[in-house]
Amino acid sequence: MKSHHMNRRDVLRGGGIALALPFLNSMSWATGAAAAKQYPKRMLISYIAYGVFDPNTPDGTSHEWSWYPRHDSGPITLNKASAPFEPVKDSLTYLRGLDHAGGYGLGGHSSGDVFSTGADMSGLEKTNNISIDQLAAKFNGHHTRYASLVLGSEGGTGSYGMSKTLSHSGPGQPIPALEKPQEIFNRLFRPYANHTVEDVRARLKREASVLDIMMENYKTLHGKLGAEDRQKMDEYLESVRAIEQRVERTSKWTHEELPKIDTKGLNLEASYHQPTEYIRCMYDLIYLAFQTDSTRFATFLTESEHSVGNLVGNFANVLFNYTGATHDIAHKRPEAASGQWETWRAEQHAYFLKRLKDTPEGDGNMLDNTVVLWGSAHPHGSHGTKDYPIQIAGGKRLGFKHGNLHNFEGDRKKPLSNLFVSMLNAVDAPVEKFADSTGELTEILA
Amino acid sequence: MNYASNHQPIRNLTRILIHGILASLWMIQVALAEDVSVKSKTSGSPDGPAIPAGEAGHRSHIKPFFETYCIQCHGPDKSKGKITLHTLDGDLAAGADGEMERWEKILEVMDLEEMPPEDEKQPTAAEREAVKAWIDEGMRDHVAKASDVKSAPLARRLTNFEYQNTMRDLLGIDLELIKDLPQDPAKPYHFNNSAEFMLLGPEQLDRYLKTARRALASAIVDPGKPKVHRQQWTFGSEGPAFASAKPDELGIYSNGRGSIASGVVVDSWPETGDYRIRIKAAAILPPGFKEVPLRIVMGSHLRSDAGTGDYAPVGMLHLSNTVDDMREFEFRGRIENHPIHVGQVTAKGQLPPKRYIYPQNLFDNGQLNDHRRNHLDTSWQNSVPRAVVRTIEFEAPVIDVWPPAHHTRILPESSLRSADPDEYIRGVLERFISRAFRRPASQDERERFFKIYKMLEPSFDTLEETMRETLAMVLTSPQFLYHTVAADGLTTPGYELASRLSYFLWGSLPDDELLALAAGKKLDDPAVIEAQARRMLADDRARDFVRNFTTQWLSIEKTKAVNINRQLFPRFLFTVPNGERFDQEELFRPTIRDYMMDETVGFIGELIRRNASVLNIVDSDFAWLNEPLAAHYGIKGVQGLEFRAVPLAPDSPLGGLPTQGSVLVGNGTGSAPHPIYRAVWLREAILGDEVAPPPAEVPALSDTAGEEVNNATTIKEMLRIHRTVESCNDCHARLDPWGIPFEEYNAIGQFQPKIPKNGASVRKFSESIDRNLDGYSEYLKTVNTLPVDSVARVPNGPEVSGMRDLKEYLLKDRKEDLAENAIRRLLTYSIGRALTYQDRYTVEELLEQSEKTEHRFQDMILTICRSEIFRTPITTTKNQQ
Repeated sequence: MKSHHMNRRDVLRGGGIALALPFLNSMSWATGAAAAKQYPKRMLISYIAYGVFDPNTPDGTSHEWSWYPRHDSGPITLNKASAPFEPVKDSLTYLRGLDHAGGYGLGGHSSGDVFSTGADMSGLEKTNNISIDQLAAKFNGHHTRYASLVLGSEGGTGSYGMSKTLSHSGPGQPIPALEKPQEIFNRLFRPYANHTVEDVRARLKREASVLDIMMENYKTLHGKLGAEDRQKMDEYLESVRAIEQRVERTSKWTHEELPKIDTKGLNLEASYHQPTEYIRCMYDLIYLAFQTDSTRFATFLTESEHSVGNLVGNFANVLFNYTGATHDIAHKRPEAASGQWETWRAEQHAYFLKRLKDTPEGDGNMLDNTVVLWGSAHPHGSHGTKDYPIQIAGGKRLGFKHGNLHNFEGDRKKPLSNLFVSMLNAVDAPVEKFADSTGELTEILA
Repeated sequence: MNYASNHQPIRNLTRILIHGILASLWMIQVALAEDVSVKSKTSGSPDGPAIPAGEAGHRSHIKPFFETYCIQCHGPDKSKGKITLHTLDGDLAAGADGEMERWEKILEVMDLEEMPPEDEKQPTAAEREAVKAWIDEGMRDHVAKASDVKSAPLARRLTNFEYQNTMRDLLGIDLELIKDLPQDPAKPYHFNNSAEFMLLGPEQLDRYLKTARRALASAIVDPGKPKVHRQQWTFGSEGPAFASAKPDELGIYSNGRGSIASGVVVDSWPETGDYRIRIKAAAILPPGFKEVPLRIVMGSHLRSDAGTGDYAPVGMLHLSNTVDDMREFEFRGRIENHPIHVGQVTAKGQLPPKRYIYPQNLFDNGQLNDHRRNHLDTSWQNSVPRAVVRTIEFEAPVIDVWPPAHHTRILPESSLRSADPDEYIRGVLERFISRAFRRPASQDERERFFKIYKMLEPSFDTLEETMRETLAMVLTSPQFLYHTVAADGLTTPGYELASRLSYFLWGSLPDDELLALAAGKKLDDPAVIEAQARRMLADDRARDFVRNFTTQWLSIEKTKAVNINRQLFPRFLFTVPNGERFDQEELFRPTIRDYMMDETVGFIGELIRRNASVLNIVDSDFAWLNEPLAAHYGIKGVQGLEFRAVPLAPDSPLGGLPTQGSVLVGNGTGSAPHPIYRAVWLREAILGDEVAPPPAEVPALSDTAGEEVNNATTIKEMLRIHRTVESCNDCHARLDPWGIPFEEYNAIGQFQPKIPKNGASVRKFSESIDRNLDGYSEYLKTVNTLPVDSVARVPNGPEVSGMRDLKEYLLKDRKEDLAENAIRRLLTYSIGRALTYQDRYTVEELLEQSEKTEHRFQDMILTICRSEIFRTPITTTKNQQ
């Protein structure tokens, strides 16, 4: 099987095929009780900006406030900064020394662009490429009401070198992230707003018919163009098809009951002024989306390197009166503030992991069926583009084994894409290669 | 500069050094040198041996030449810059895959005598010329014989910039639409209006549909006159107000509650429509001042203490009437464009939304920081212009004409509407589609959308609603979203050209005049094209072109993102003096960096308007300035916020692009100048070289410089150390010298030939210590004592000492490169695709023509518009038969 890191033509051809997977007979509502024991296999990618605190120490060991619980390979004992992960410590792995070579040239504030895509932006590619959550969604997104959930604290797509989303469905196809909790909640759980299901169905039917005519319109034009322009415009065709499929899918799902959500304890009004409440609310929404099997693949850009000029970039200021933007911590690396900052970030992420763990699923729990990638595209300090700090949590039943830090620096260096291949395979998106991968990351597989 | 205490310069160098793939000898793609066109006309140089054409010559001369001078580094053993020469087969006519690009690069570096490197064995001038002539002839021959098979697409979706303008001109209302669209890709020093950048995906299409619906909800109004929302506010000149200003007065620091400075709250408004804001205002002008700039903005609650809030400008006034001559001013705009203030959630539920209108006094003489001790101290603001605002009136929608023109333009009043509705609908569709597609709608197309209309009709109550949804589909058709390309039976080349002209010079769709010329097949005539291009350049819409083109060409957008070191440059940002956000930048008003962007865009616009030589980009006898910017650069006698051409003295440190703040700040670190960024800027944007990023495998600067780096005091010194490593030296020897002369200009774009000693910090202006600004500049002289080192030897050129020398060298020895680069940039932008080796001789011709008019900017644009390549910009492939 060839690489699932697509060039444009692959997206048009292969991607189209992937989209056209026969979801009619495999939708979960149609599979019934027989498949009930097969729990959903899920994936979340969550991003933190500006790298992590990880100073050199005289004896070469890890600093007590380091984001990493230890320096070199070996079993993990949580340190001060990672203490919030205590409740899920048996489901954690830390990886050191992995990165995307394709992001080296993007520079200190921009390699986050390729964090979940591994696109070769230093060389061949100009417009990024498909992210692993979207590739997984192409394989298995049809099982749920929504193929994927794309969140980011600032919303939108951002631009080249300043991405504000982790998800891309292909070259030049960033997926705008959603940032407003209420809006996300409505989209997920109140999709029909004030309309009746019948109204919605009628509208969808109408939309489908209109799309048919749009397709005819496209074909007439297409037939009159030169070969090169025709090929270029295939992207339009694929886009219309994708929308058609979305309409069809939404229509099918109108026959399924919407999940009942208990909104108690859910603070949908949380804003940047209350960073903890806000980030937790976003994590709560991901949790609810997973728990109700509304989607299985999510990304969450908790902050970006370009959160300057808004409160997302000033969380440390709001939270513990750090005199400066969060970015400033990454530059100056003051010990106390860095420790506080790492602890806070860990607390929020651990909160989510614990919620998954506390939710039983069969004789296990949700965390066991969910692989969660958490990290940044920068090391200690904020301007390196190599050696991403990476934490993998959960997914024990998807084939991951935990409890260690693996250091891949130096001779042991491997592309981060190897991890991606393993993550994709774990969620039943069978690939042999993704971006610049050279195989699987066998070290973390059971 | 205090390099030791700020690691950013080092880090940034590291960043540059770990960039990318290509390195070493061939890292640049250089422009044609002056003499090529002349010398290449002969098959050998006058005093050298002629080399037989084709493969025979390759065998007898070229291969041996490569073996003597090149293969050592670019052969089977080493492939510096990933270029090897031993595999070239010498049959240029066949033009094997990728070989022509290699040949072109060889020609380019030989032209500039960059290769072989200076410290290697050199061929004689005659040998060099003969080889160049042989390559050139082969390439010329190859290009001439290429068949007319189109090999690159011209179809590409509109950029967001083009989409926004197109919708504005199509619908006749200026709505802010692109904020909901995914941002376009951008790459430094590249234009993004090409097929490779402008891609389309489902998300994008989805957003296009939503945006079209939103726009049409505004463009087509519902039947019946709407309710008009009105509100009025009055402010008196009496009574208490915060911070010593009167309630109706607006000083630059005013923020008093209950005064005009805290704005007014609009409680209700229509969902769509034009608004009208009238204000009665006057100026209080202390002696010596002529006007006060007053801006009106509307949006959410702006909290400068928290830095939250969002607004859009309503308009700008330059008031000069006095209080006894109070005058009324009127602004119009679209209500949809202004952010809403979402109501807070209280115990009783959510409060209703609001909109705030704020007048802002934008007076700025570059000294705003110097006189503000705290937020209560407004003594100084009374010695500079203040505005007085007595009343504000808000009204929306404006129903002077109803239905509004933008509505009747789509749905005209007609008896046909009731007499023969289907015929009416068809007419509406035909007109709209033809405008939207930038060429007549075919009957097929019209009928298809008519079918959509009929299909939708039962679901909607009114014709207006049905039409909105139908037209939203027109606006998501490929014919609208993609650039118009000629298609059999649908679009003639004339329409394609009309669109190409309008998207080049306006960034928008062609107007009626252009379409009429296309319909009459008049656009084949270069004279007609030229007349149209002149007309278009004189139109206001050409400003959009200048801004978009200039910003991308010079890659100045990043200027706004550079973090300025407040310790080193305490007067650069207008900062909040105390409270929670001590030393934070004051938001919500234009900053000096916005003015720097305006400076550069305005400067290029002025060159085009004057039809001055493009060589002015390197040095000019005028600068494009307003008061705050002039104060920043140390130019006296400029008053007011409006930009104007300011004549420069012959010895002025300003002139041209290289000394403009947008370039210097953007290519600095915020603390220090950055010679590498600046060198890259000069070579990419001005000389037209393609500077490849450093390869990933080269060691970072700090590693190669080792221990010494801690003791190095200047970047120049660090670079010297870095260059001692051979793999780094290969590139940096050819890059660094270009940036060193820029060292005379500091990180905030000021001419600063002397800098503080290592470790010194600069304190703010202080009235108690300095008494006045002259005192402060005396103080600065005591701090800035170390002369910067700005001497460098230009690669393959002379030694230059500072910017003045560098400019002289560029204008004397690199004139052709500068002009050719300008042509290439304009041409690339105008036809929306990258240039290839096949365009080499076309560019050469354009350059020859441009020389005849001394490279005048406007003439250059006109020459491009008239050219064959602009009219049919296809790339061709070699016929392989």
